[in-house]
Amino acid sequence: MWEKLTNIDRRWLYALMILVIALALINPVGLAIIPSAETKNVYDIIESLPPGSIVWMGMEFSAGGIPELMPAILSMIRQGWKEGRDLRFVCAGMWQMAGDMADQAFTTLKDEFPNKQYGVDWVNIGYKPGGEVLLQQYQNNIIETALGVDFYGNDLNTLPLMKEFTSLKQADLIAIFCTGTPGEKEYIKHVTSPNNIPLIESAISVSIPEIMPFVQAGQIKGLIAGMKGAAEYEVLVGAPGSATAGMDAQSFSHALIIIFMILGNIGYVLTKNKKQAS
Amino acid sequence: MSETMVTVGTWLQAFFTIVLVSAVFKDNPLYRFAEHTYVGLFAGYGVALTYFNYIRPNVTKNLLTDGEWSLLIPIILGLLIYTRYVKPVAWLSRYTICFQLGIGSGYVLAKDFKPYFVDQIRATFLPLWGTGDWWKDVSNILFVVGTVCSLVYFLFTIQKKGVQGKVSLVGRYTMMIAFGAAFGNTVMARVSLFLGRMQFLLGDWLGLIK
Repeated sequence: MWEKLTNIDRRWLYALMILVIALALINPVGLAIIPSAETKNVYDIIESLPPGSIVWMGMEFSAGGIPELMPAILSMIRQGWKEGRDLRFVCAGMWQMAGDMADQAFTTLKDEFPNKQYGVDWVNIGYKPGGEVLLQQYQNNIIETALGVDFYGNDLNTLPLMKEFTSLKQADLIAIFCTGTPGEKEYIKHVTSPNNIPLIESAISVSIPEIMPFVQAGQIKGLIAGMKGAAEYEVLVGAPGSATAGMDAQSFSHALIIIFMILGNIGYVLTKNKKQAS
Repeated sequence: MSETMVTVGTWLQAFFTIVLVSAVFKDNPLYRFAEHTYVGLFAGYGVALTYFNYIRPNVTKNLLTDGEWSLLIPIILGLLIYTRYVKPVAWLSRYTICFQLGIGSGYVLAKDFKPYFVDQIRATFLPLWGTGDWWKDVSNILFVVGTVCSLVYFLFTIQKKGVQGKVSLVGRYTMMIAFGAAFGNTVMARVSLFLGRMQFLLGDWLGLIK
């Protein structure tokens, strides 16, 4: 029996995983989500910003990062725009889909915040090529570096927010959403470390072990770790969304993987002993 | 965007999602088609975006209108890279590559040292006792011991015997724990990606979840 278990066709495991995730999504149990210290730091930092502060949102991800990062972006905008806060957001990125991701986020929240105006409360500069050199140049003159146009082709000189926000150094907070390189390392190197601007990040789970040294060193002030972190942040902001909805399914799928690993290891040890004995 | 286009988009998304996931069960021609479509679309989108958002405004405004003729230098350098496809003049592309390597090296030398070395080393200067919180004391000790032992592991010029051997062993176990955490996070990330797609299929496409 144990030999059969160690040689089970992996397609059955995939099918079981799909079934467990589907059932958990259709019939959620409502497992508790307890915010971690790193996510609370992000929430507290945003809360501590004076009304009208300018937050630079670095959209350093493509469509593959949407499930883990978009819930955090939506929650951050909601927190920034709730009654009396009136934070202002300038979005840009070194990744090709930066403009599309920012556009998707603000379009999703358009009906929730009908009074917020493009050009006054938020600007989407979008993607500009250049990588980390871009970050260096944004510190000198944003409009010149962006060639004077935003993601939609508007003249940046005509936007009221960009008349006030001319250099990346003027940002009160830098919030980046990353799935890889270029990402937080480039921001730390060129922007936040030399200029002492606080940096918070939402990153996909696979990057977390790599990012923790920067969190531990205080170079990143707060971290939203993957979908779990996004769910915690949604709970703190008080607006549960797709990340919270996915947590039951994530927990059950992880439990299934742990069961597979335990059974697989038991089977391996027993079959190994049996082979040695024979 | 009209409702018809949204519906078509949703069905296209569902089709490509199912077809791409089908690869884990069996390699099939539909999966190959979806894979090539994705790669081609992404490459084409990148080229179009770069051209319309950067190259065209740079050339029409900065170069032709404002007369910034110095931009011709990076334009020519950039175009030289394509000489790699023409064997007799392929050597010209080395200028572009050397320029990029020089810039990259300069950036590394000038910018990497403080945030990646000095600040990280400074972060290991932690109090090992007397913080007032016993758990913080234990954490700091584990952190400092783990960091030092892991670094000792990479001293390959000294034989791993005696004290060095034991310290290296502690470093190896520390790294194994770290790799285990990295693996766990990778699994979580992959499950999250798949969850996102399942939420789309069951929610936006089939309407089974709100």
